[in-house]
Amino acid sequence: MKILLIVIFSSICFAFGAKFYFKYKRRKNFFDALIFLCHKFDVEINFSREKVINIISSLEEKVKQNLYGLDKNFISSIENKESLEKDKLLKNLTFLSEEEGNSIFLFFKSLGRSDMENQLKEINNFENKFSQFCTASSQEFKKYGKLSIKLAIVACLMVVVLFI
Amino acid sequence: MLEKILPSEIYNPLTKYVSFNAINEIRLRVDKPIVLSIGSQKFFLSSHGTTGNLKEAICPSKTTLEDIVFRASECSLYSVNEQIKRGFLVTQGGIRLGLGGDLIEEKGQIKTLTNFNSINIRIPHEIKNCSLSCFDYIIENGNILNTLVISPPGAGKTTFLRDFILQLSQRNYAFNVLVLDERGEIDLGTKGCIGNFADKISFASKKVGFENGIRSLSPNLIITDELGTADDVQALLYACNSGVSIMASVHADSVESFLAKEDFSKVIKEKVFKRFVVLSLRNGPGTLEGIYNENLSRLGRRY
Repeated sequence: MKILLIVIFSSICFAFGAKFYFKYKRRKNFFDALIFLCHKFDVEINFSREKVINIISSLEEKVKQNLYGLDKNFISSIENKESLEKDKLLKNLTFLSEEEGNSIFLFFKSLGRSDMENQLKEINNFENKFSQFCTASSQEFKKYGKLSIKLAIVACLMVVVLFI
Repeated sequence: MLEKILPSEIYNPLTKYVSFNAINEIRLRVDKPIVLSIGSQKFFLSSHGTTGNLKEAICPSKTTLEDIVFRASECSLYSVNEQIKRGFLVTQGGIRLGLGGDLIEEKGQIKTLTNFNSINIRIPHEIKNCSLSCFDYIIENGNILNTLVISPPGAGKTTFLRDFILQLSQRNYAFNVLVLDERGEIDLGTKGCIGNFADKISFASKKVGFENGIRSLSPNLIITDELGTADDVQALLYACNSGVSIMASVHADSVESFLAKEDFSKVIKEKVFKRFVVLSLRNGPGTLEGIYNENLSRLGRRY
Protein backbone atom coordinates (compact mmCIF):
# COMPACT_ATOMS: atom_id res chain seq x y z
CA MET A 1 0.00 0.00 0.00
CA LYS A 2 2.79 2.38 0.99
CA ILE A 3 4.69 1.66 -2.21
CA LEU A 4 1.60 2.25 -4.25
CA LEU A 5 1.02 5.63 -2.57
CA ILE A 6 4.67 6.55 -3.13
CA VAL A 7 4.33 5.73 -6.80
CA ILE A 8 1.07 7.68 -7.16
CA PHE A 9 2.28 10.83 -5.37
CA SER A 10 5.67 10.74 -7.07
CA SER A 11 3.97 10.43 -10.44
CA ILE A 12 1.73 13.39 -9.68
CA CYS A 13 4.71 15.53 -8.65
CA PHE A 14 6.68 14.47 -11.70
CA ALA A 15 3.74 15.08 -14.02
CA PHE A 16 3.40 18.64 -12.70
CA GLY A 17 7.11 19.24 -13.16
CA ALA A 18 7.08 17.77 -16.66
CA LYS A 19 4.01 19.80 -17.60
CA PHE A 20 5.77 23.07 -16.81
CA TYR A 21 9.02 21.87 -18.36
CA PHE A 22 7.31 21.02 -21.65
CA LYS A 23 5.27 24.22 -21.61
CA TYR A 24 8.44 26.31 -21.57
CA LYS A 25 10.15 24.00 -24.04
CA ARG A 26 7.21 24.26 -26.46
CA ARG A 27 7.28 28.05 -26.25
CA LYS A 28 10.99 28.11 -26.96
CA ASN A 29 10.71 25.68 -29.89
CA PHE A 30 7.71 27.57 -31.25
CA PHE A 31 9.45 30.94 -31.33
CA ASP A 32 12.58 29.35 -32.83
CA ALA A 33 10.41 27.90 -35.60
CA LEU A 34 8.62 31.21 -36.10
CA ILE A 35 11.93 33.05 -36.53
CA PHE A 36 13.05 30.36 -38.96
CA LEU A 37 9.82 30.96 -40.90
CA CYS A 38 10.50 34.71 -41.00
CA HIS A 39 14.01 34.03 -42.36
CA LYS A 40 12.55 31.74 -44.98
CA PHE A 41 10.01 34.38 -46.01
CA ASP A 42 12.76 36.94 -46.25
CA VAL A 43 14.97 34.78 -48.47
CA GLU A 44 12.29 33.26 -50.69
CA ILE A 45 10.45 36.54 -51.28
CA ASN A 46 13.69 38.38 -51.97
CA PHE A 47 15.10 35.73 -54.28
CA SER A 48 12.13 34.43 -56.22
CA ARG A 49 9.03 36.24 -54.96
CA GLU A 50 7.69 32.87 -53.98
CA LYS A 51 4.05 32.70 -52.92
CA VAL A 52 3.21 32.68 -49.20
CA ILE A 53 1.47 29.31 -49.32
CA ASN A 54 4.37 27.66 -51.17
CA ILE A 55 6.85 28.98 -48.64
CA ILE A 56 4.84 27.65 -45.72
CA SER A 57 4.14 24.33 -47.43
CA SER A 58 7.80 23.77 -48.20
CA LEU A 59 8.87 24.04 -44.56
CA GLU A 60 10.68 21.04 -43.15
CA GLU A 61 8.53 18.65 -41.18
CA LYS A 62 10.37 19.35 -37.94
CA VAL A 63 9.77 23.08 -38.21
CA LYS A 64 6.12 22.44 -39.01
CA GLN A 65 5.82 20.28 -35.90
CA ASN A 66 7.22 23.11 -33.79
CA LEU A 67 4.67 25.53 -35.21
CA TYR A 68 1.98 23.43 -33.52
CA GLY A 69 -0.60 23.68 -36.30
CA LEU A 70 -0.17 27.42 -36.95
CA ASP A 71 0.83 26.72 -40.58
CA LYS A 72 -2.12 24.40 -41.17
CA ASN A 73 -4.61 26.81 -39.59
CA PHE A 74 -3.36 29.63 -41.81
CA ILE A 75 -3.46 27.60 -45.01
CA SER A 76 -6.90 26.15 -44.25
CA SER A 77 -8.35 29.65 -43.70
CA ILE A 78 -7.04 30.60 -47.15
CA GLU A 79 -8.27 27.44 -48.82
CA ASN A 80 -11.72 27.78 -47.23
CA LYS A 81 -11.91 31.41 -48.41
CA GLU A 82 -12.44 32.56 -44.82
CA SER A 83 -11.14 35.79 -43.40
CA LEU A 84 -8.31 35.18 -40.96
CA GLU A 85 -9.56 34.93 -37.37
CA LYS A 86 -7.30 35.05 -34.35
CA ASP A 87 -9.02 32.25 -32.44
CA LYS A 88 -8.88 29.86 -35.38
CA LEU A 89 -5.31 30.73 -36.26
CA LEU A 90 -4.02 30.23 -32.73
CA LYS A 91 -6.24 27.25 -31.97
CA ASN A 92 -3.57 24.94 -30.55
CA LEU A 93 -1.28 27.57 -29.13
CA THR A 94 -2.51 27.77 -25.56
CA PHE A 95 0.96 28.56 -24.25
CA LEU A 96 1.03 32.04 -25.80
CA SER A 97 0.32 35.26 -23.93
CA GLU A 98 -2.23 37.78 -25.22
CA GLU A 99 0.49 40.08 -26.55
CA GLU A 100 2.33 37.25 -28.31
CA GLY A 101 -0.91 35.98 -29.85
CA ASN A 102 -1.80 39.44 -31.14
CA SER A 103 1.62 39.91 -32.74
CA ILE A 104 1.47 36.53 -34.46
CA PHE A 105 -2.05 37.20 -35.70
CA LEU A 106 -1.04 40.59 -37.11
CA PHE A 107 1.99 39.03 -38.75
CA PHE A 108 -0.05 36.44 -40.61
CA LYS A 109 -2.72 39.00 -41.44
CA SER A 110 -0.10 41.21 -43.09
CA LEU A 111 1.32 38.44 -45.28
CA GLY A 112 0.92 38.98 -49.01
CA ARG A 113 -0.88 42.31 -48.64
CA SER A 114 1.78 44.69 -49.97
CA ASP A 115 4.57 45.07 -52.50
CA MET A 116 7.89 43.33 -51.99
CA GLU A 117 9.74 46.22 -50.39
CA ASN A 118 7.08 46.87 -47.77
CA GLN A 119 6.40 43.19 -47.22
CA LEU A 120 10.06 42.58 -46.38
CA LYS A 121 10.13 45.59 -44.05
CA GLU A 122 7.10 44.24 -42.26
CA ILE A 123 8.56 40.76 -41.98
CA ASN A 124 11.77 42.18 -40.53
CA ASN A 125 9.83 44.24 -37.99
CA PHE A 126 7.87 41.21 -36.88
CA GLU A 127 11.03 39.11 -36.82
CA ASN A 128 12.59 41.58 -34.39
CA LYS A 129 9.55 41.36 -32.19
CA PHE A 130 9.54 37.55 -32.33
CA SER A 131 13.26 37.58 -31.46
CA GLN A 132 12.40 39.40 -28.25
CA PHE A 133 9.75 36.79 -27.46
CA CYS A 134 12.25 34.09 -28.34
CA THR A 135 14.93 35.49 -26.02
CA ALA A 136 12.39 35.79 -23.21
CA SER A 137 11.11 32.27 -23.78
CA SER A 138 14.67 30.87 -23.84
CA GLN A 139 15.39 32.55 -20.53
CA GLU A 140 12.11 31.28 -19.09
CA PHE A 141 12.98 27.79 -20.26
CA LYS A 142 16.43 27.93 -18.71
CA LYS A 143 15.08 29.41 -15.51
CA TYR A 144 11.70 27.79 -14.92
CA GLY A 145 11.70 24.80 -17.25
CA LYS A 146 14.73 23.16 -15.77
CA LEU A 147 13.77 24.36 -12.31
CA SER A 148 10.38 22.69 -12.52
CA ILE A 149 11.99 19.35 -13.34
CA LYS A 150 14.40 19.75 -10.45
CA LEU A 151 11.56 20.68 -8.10
CA ALA A 152 9.59 17.68 -9.31
CA ILE A 153 12.51 15.39 -8.51
CA VAL A 154 12.93 16.99 -5.08
CA ALA A 155 9.19 16.61 -4.44
CA CYS A 156 9.36 12.96 -5.46
CA LEU A 157 12.24 12.38 -3.07
CA MET A 158 10.33 14.14 -0.28
CA VAL A 159 7.34 11.91 -0.89
CA VAL A 160 9.58 8.88 -0.65
CA VAL A 161 11.19 10.19 2.55
CA LEU A 162 7.80 11.07 4.09
CA PHE A 163 6.35 7.68 3.40
CA ILE A 164 9.40 5.75 4.52
CA MET B 1 -9.18 28.43 -60.86
CA LEU B 2 -12.12 30.87 -60.68
CA GLU B 3 -13.48 28.79 -57.84
CA LYS B 4 -10.50 29.80 -55.76
CA ILE B 5 -10.79 33.46 -56.67
CA LEU B 6 -14.46 34.35 -56.68
CA PRO B 7 -16.62 34.43 -53.55
CA SER B 8 -19.31 31.74 -53.51
CA GLU B 9 -22.15 34.28 -53.96
CA ILE B 10 -20.69 35.05 -57.40
CA TYR B 11 -19.18 31.71 -58.32
CA ASN B 12 -22.21 29.55 -57.48
CA PRO B 13 -24.73 31.22 -59.84
CA LEU B 14 -22.07 31.26 -62.55
CA THR B 15 -21.59 27.52 -62.42
CA LYS B 16 -25.17 26.55 -61.61
CA TYR B 17 -27.09 28.65 -64.11
CA VAL B 18 -24.67 29.89 -66.78
CA SER B 19 -22.85 27.85 -69.39
CA PHE B 20 -19.38 28.56 -68.13
CA ASN B 21 -17.61 27.81 -71.40
CA ALA B 22 -19.69 30.43 -73.16
CA ILE B 23 -18.53 33.31 -70.95
CA ASN B 24 -15.88 35.56 -72.46
CA GLU B 25 -15.67 38.24 -69.80
CA ILE B 26 -16.93 38.97 -66.32
CA ARG B 27 -16.88 42.64 -65.39
CA LEU B 28 -17.05 43.61 -61.75
CA ARG B 29 -17.31 47.21 -60.61
CA VAL B 30 -17.71 48.49 -57.05
CA ASP B 31 -21.42 48.72 -56.15
CA LYS B 32 -22.39 48.21 -59.80
CA PRO B 33 -24.03 45.16 -61.37
CA ILE B 34 -21.77 42.33 -62.54
CA VAL B 35 -21.83 42.15 -66.34
CA LEU B 36 -21.22 38.92 -68.24
CA SER B 37 -20.15 38.93 -71.88
CA ILE B 38 -21.47 35.82 -73.53
CA GLY B 39 -20.72 35.75 -77.25
CA SER B 40 -21.49 39.25 -78.39
CA GLN B 41 -24.25 39.78 -75.81
CA LYS B 42 -24.13 41.25 -72.33
CA PHE B 43 -26.11 40.18 -69.25
CA PHE B 44 -26.24 41.04 -65.56
CA LEU B 45 -25.48 38.28 -63.09
CA SER B 46 -28.10 37.57 -60.43
CA SER B 47 -28.22 34.89 -57.74
CA HIS B 48 -30.28 32.74 -60.14
CA GLY B 49 -28.25 33.19 -63.33
CA THR B 50 -28.29 35.87 -65.99
CA THR B 51 -30.83 38.65 -65.92
CA GLY B 52 -31.73 41.86 -67.66
CA ASN B 53 -33.26 43.26 -64.47
CA LEU B 54 -30.93 45.72 -62.77
CA LYS B 55 -32.62 45.25 -59.38
CA GLU B 56 -31.83 41.53 -59.32
CA ALA B 57 -28.20 41.96 -60.32
CA ILE B 58 -25.41 41.19 -57.86
CA CYS B 59 -23.37 44.29 -57.01
CA PRO B 60 -19.97 43.51 -55.45
CA SER B 61 -18.52 45.68 -52.69
CA LYS B 62 -15.05 47.21 -52.62
CA THR B 63 -13.94 44.57 -50.11
CA THR B 64 -15.10 41.82 -52.48
CA LEU B 65 -13.01 43.24 -55.30
CA GLU B 66 -9.96 43.59 -53.09
CA ASP B 67 -10.46 40.06 -51.87
CA ILE B 68 -10.67 38.77 -55.45
CA VAL B 69 -7.39 40.44 -56.38
CA PHE B 70 -5.74 39.15 -53.20
CA ARG B 71 -6.87 35.59 -53.91
CA ALA B 72 -5.93 35.84 -57.58
CA SER B 73 -2.40 36.69 -56.45
CA GLU B 74 -2.48 33.46 -54.40
CA CYS B 75 -2.45 35.63 -51.29
CA SER B 76 0.90 37.14 -52.32
CA LEU B 77 0.41 40.56 -53.88
CA TYR B 78 4.17 41.22 -53.81
CA SER B 79 4.70 38.34 -56.26
CA VAL B 80 2.49 39.94 -58.93
CA ASN B 81 3.12 43.62 -58.26
CA GLU B 82 4.98 44.03 -61.56
CA GLN B 83 1.83 42.85 -63.35
CA ILE B 84 -0.44 44.96 -61.17
CA LYS B 85 1.63 48.02 -62.06
CA ARG B 86 0.78 47.35 -65.69
CA GLY B 87 -2.90 47.03 -64.84
CA PHE B 88 -3.47 43.32 -64.97
CA LEU B 89 -2.92 40.09 -63.14
CA VAL B 90 -2.81 36.63 -64.69
CA THR B 91 -3.73 33.61 -62.61
CA GLN B 92 -2.78 30.00 -63.15
CA GLY B 93 -4.74 28.78 -66.13
CA GLY B 94 -4.25 31.99 -68.08
CA ILE B 95 -7.26 33.84 -66.66
CA ARG B 96 -6.47 37.53 -66.95
CA LEU B 97 -7.83 40.09 -64.53
CA GLY B 98 -7.71 43.60 -65.95
CA LEU B 99 -7.61 46.01 -63.01
CA GLY B 100 -8.89 49.51 -62.46
CA GLY B 101 -7.99 51.54 -59.37
CA ASP B 102 -5.75 54.28 -58.04
CA LEU B 103 -2.28 54.35 -59.53
CA ILE B 104 0.46 55.23 -57.03
CA GLU B 105 3.39 57.03 -58.60
CA GLU B 106 6.64 57.96 -56.93
CA LYS B 107 9.39 59.95 -58.62
CA GLY B 108 7.78 59.42 -61.99
CA GLN B 109 7.61 55.65 -61.58
CA ILE B 110 4.52 53.57 -61.01
CA LYS B 111 4.75 51.98 -57.59
CA THR B 112 1.53 50.03 -57.52
CA LEU B 113 -2.18 50.08 -58.19
CA THR B 114 -4.45 50.19 -55.19
CA ASN B 115 -8.09 50.80 -54.19
CA PHE B 116 -9.29 48.48 -56.93
CA ASN B 117 -12.65 49.67 -58.24
CA SER B 118 -13.10 47.47 -61.29
CA ILE B 119 -12.00 44.07 -62.48
CA ASN B 120 -12.41 42.61 -65.93
CA ILE B 121 -11.98 38.86 -65.79
CA ARG B 122 -11.21 37.42 -69.22
CA ILE B 123 -11.84 33.72 -69.54
CA PRO B 124 -9.49 32.06 -72.02
CA HIS B 125 -10.79 29.35 -74.31
CA GLU B 126 -9.15 26.57 -76.21
CA ILE B 127 -10.85 26.46 -79.61
CA LYS B 128 -9.44 23.41 -81.31
CA ASN B 129 -8.49 23.82 -84.98
CA CYS B 130 -9.38 27.53 -85.10
CA SER B 131 -6.11 28.28 -86.89
CA LEU B 132 -6.38 25.42 -89.36
CA SER B 133 -7.90 27.45 -92.19
CA CYS B 134 -4.79 29.65 -92.23
CA PHE B 135 -2.25 26.92 -91.62
CA ASP B 136 -1.30 26.23 -95.24
CA TYR B 137 -0.89 29.92 -96.01
CA ILE B 138 1.52 30.41 -93.12
CA ILE B 139 3.78 27.45 -93.81
CA GLU B 140 5.48 27.54 -97.19
CA ASN B 141 8.04 24.99 -98.38
CA GLY B 142 8.51 23.78 -94.84
CA ASN B 143 9.22 27.28 -93.54
CA ILE B 144 7.04 29.38 -91.32
CA LEU B 145 6.44 32.81 -92.76
CA ASN B 146 6.47 35.82 -90.45
CA THR B 147 2.83 36.29 -89.60
CA LEU B 148 0.88 39.01 -87.83
CA VAL B 149 -2.55 38.32 -86.39
CA ILE B 150 -4.63 41.50 -86.41
CA SER B 151 -7.83 41.93 -84.44
CA PRO B 152 -9.62 44.19 -81.98
CA PRO B 153 -9.49 43.19 -78.28
CA GLY B 154 -11.34 40.01 -77.39
CA ALA B 155 -11.58 38.72 -80.96
CA GLY B 156 -9.44 35.64 -80.47
CA LYS B 157 -5.83 36.57 -81.24
CA THR B 158 -4.38 34.66 -78.32
CA THR B 159 -6.65 31.68 -78.94
CA PHE B 160 -5.48 31.62 -82.57
CA LEU B 161 -1.79 31.71 -81.55
CA ARG B 162 -2.33 29.00 -78.95
CA ASP B 163 -4.02 26.72 -81.44
CA PHE B 164 -1.34 27.34 -84.07
CA ILE B 165 1.37 26.19 -81.63
CA LEU B 166 -0.64 23.06 -80.92
CA GLN B 167 -1.27 22.38 -84.62
CA LEU B 168 2.47 22.56 -85.29
CA SER B 169 3.07 19.97 -82.62
CA GLN B 170 0.21 17.71 -83.68
CA ARG B 171 1.43 17.74 -87.29
CA ASN B 172 4.95 16.94 -86.17
CA TYR B 173 6.51 20.10 -87.43
CA ALA B 174 9.44 19.82 -85.09
CA PHE B 175 10.29 23.51 -85.09
CA ASN B 176 11.77 24.79 -81.88
CA VAL B 177 9.03 27.18 -80.88
CA LEU B 178 9.63 29.85 -78.27
CA VAL B 179 6.44 31.14 -76.69
CA LEU B 180 7.16 34.58 -75.36
CA ASP B 181 4.22 34.86 -73.03
CA GLU B 182 4.47 38.40 -71.69
CA ARG B 183 1.14 38.27 -69.89
CA GLY B 184 0.99 34.56 -69.15
CA GLU B 185 -2.09 34.12 -71.31
CA ILE B 186 -0.93 31.88 -74.16
CA ASP B 187 -0.11 28.80 -72.12
CA LEU B 188 -3.15 27.87 -70.06
CA GLY B 189 -1.10 25.39 -68.08
CA THR B 190 -3.30 22.49 -69.18
CA LYS B 191 -1.60 19.33 -70.36
CA GLY B 192 -0.44 19.62 -73.96
CA CYS B 193 -1.74 23.17 -74.33
CA ILE B 194 1.34 24.32 -76.22
CA GLY B 195 2.36 20.98 -77.66
CA ASN B 196 5.65 19.14 -77.43
CA PHE B 197 8.11 21.42 -79.17
CA ALA B 198 7.55 24.70 -77.42
CA ASP B 199 9.69 26.44 -74.82
CA LYS B 200 8.23 29.27 -72.84
CA ILE B 201 9.44 32.51 -71.31
CA SER B 202 6.75 34.15 -69.23
CA PHE B 203 6.24 37.67 -67.91
CA ALA B 204 9.35 39.06 -69.60
CA SER B 205 9.20 42.19 -71.72
CA LYS B 206 9.49 41.65 -75.47
CA LYS B 207 13.00 43.13 -75.48
CA VAL B 208 14.34 40.88 -72.74
CA GLY B 209 12.37 37.87 -73.93
CA PHE B 210 13.53 38.07 -77.54
CA GLU B 211 17.17 38.66 -76.63
CA ASN B 212 17.40 36.01 -73.93
CA GLY B 213 15.26 33.54 -75.82
CA ILE B 214 17.27 33.70 -79.02
CA ARG B 215 20.54 33.48 -77.13
CA SER B 216 19.61 30.67 -74.80
CA LEU B 217 16.96 28.57 -76.54
CA SER B 218 17.85 28.93 -80.27
CA PRO B 219 14.27 28.92 -81.51
CA ASN B 220 13.15 28.54 -85.13
CA LEU B 221 9.95 30.37 -84.41
CA ILE B 222 8.98 32.91 -81.76
CA ILE B 223 5.32 33.35 -80.98
CA THR B 224 4.28 36.37 -78.98
CA ASP B 225 1.14 38.29 -78.17
CA GLU B 226 0.15 41.94 -78.48
CA LEU B 227 2.94 43.96 -80.04
CA GLY B 228 2.30 47.54 -79.12
CA THR B 229 5.20 49.84 -78.45
CA ALA B 230 8.24 51.06 -80.37
CA ASP B 231 10.38 48.91 -78.04
CA ASP B 232 8.39 45.85 -79.08
CA VAL B 233 9.05 46.68 -82.73
CA GLN B 234 12.78 47.06 -82.05
CA ALA B 235 12.82 43.67 -80.35
CA LEU B 236 10.91 42.19 -83.27
CA LEU B 237 13.39 43.55 -85.82
CA TYR B 238 16.26 42.21 -83.74
CA ALA B 239 14.68 38.73 -83.84
CA CYS B 240 14.05 38.94 -87.59
CA ASN B 241 17.67 39.90 -88.20
CA SER B 242 18.68 36.86 -86.18
CA GLY B 243 16.99 34.59 -88.71
CA VAL B 244 14.11 33.55 -86.48
CA SER B 245 10.55 33.38 -87.80
CA ILE B 246 8.01 35.45 -85.92
CA MET B 247 4.33 35.04 -85.32
CA ALA B 248 2.76 37.86 -83.35
CA SER B 249 -0.49 39.65 -82.78
CA VAL B 250 -1.50 43.27 -82.66
CA HIS B 251 -4.60 45.27 -81.75
CA ALA B 252 -6.23 46.84 -84.82
CA ASP B 253 -9.59 46.75 -86.56
CA SER B 254 -8.21 45.95 -89.99
CA VAL B 255 -5.03 45.84 -92.04
CA GLU B 256 -5.59 49.50 -92.92
CA SER B 257 -5.69 50.63 -89.29
CA PHE B 258 -2.57 48.56 -88.62
CA LEU B 259 -0.79 50.29 -91.50
CA ALA B 260 -1.65 53.62 -89.90
CA LYS B 261 0.30 52.79 -86.73
CA GLU B 262 3.39 54.96 -86.69
CA ASP B 263 5.43 52.68 -84.46
CA PHE B 264 5.20 49.95 -87.07
CA SER B 265 6.24 52.04 -90.09
CA LYS B 266 9.64 50.36 -90.37
CA VAL B 267 8.11 46.90 -90.11
CA ILE B 268 5.61 47.79 -92.80
CA LYS B 269 8.19 49.43 -95.06
CA GLU B 270 10.57 46.50 -94.84
CA LYS B 271 7.71 44.04 -95.35
CA VAL B 272 8.80 42.07 -92.31
CA PHE B 273 5.51 40.22 -92.15
CA LYS B 274 4.67 37.98 -95.07
CA ARG B 275 1.20 37.06 -93.87
CA PHE B 276 -1.55 39.02 -92.11
CA VAL B 277 -4.44 37.16 -90.50
CA VAL B 278 -7.37 39.44 -89.71
CA LEU B 279 -9.90 38.38 -87.07
CA SER B 280 -13.01 40.20 -85.93
CA LEU B 281 -16.04 39.93 -83.66
CA ARG B 282 -18.48 40.12 -86.59
CA ASN B 283 -19.88 36.61 -86.08
CA GLY B 284 -18.58 36.26 -82.53
CA PRO B 285 -14.95 36.10 -81.37
CA GLY B 286 -12.57 34.46 -83.83
CA THR B 287 -14.36 35.41 -87.06
CA LEU B 288 -11.74 35.13 -89.82
CA GLU B 289 -11.99 38.20 -92.02
CA GLY B 290 -9.13 37.37 -94.34
CA ILE B 291 -5.55 36.33 -94.91
CA TYR B 292 -3.25 38.72 -96.76
CA ASN B 293 0.28 38.52 -98.11
CA GLU B 294 3.01 41.15 -97.72
CA ASN B 295 1.59 43.14 -100.64
CA LEU B 296 -1.78 43.13 -98.86
CA SER B 297 -3.35 40.96 -101.52
CA ARG B 298 -6.02 38.68 -100.21
CA LEU B 299 -5.14 34.99 -100.23
CA GLY B 300 -7.64 32.19 -100.66
CA ARG B 301 -11.38 32.64 -100.65
CA ARG B 302 -13.30 35.59 -99.26
CA TYR B 303 -14.49 34.75 -95.73
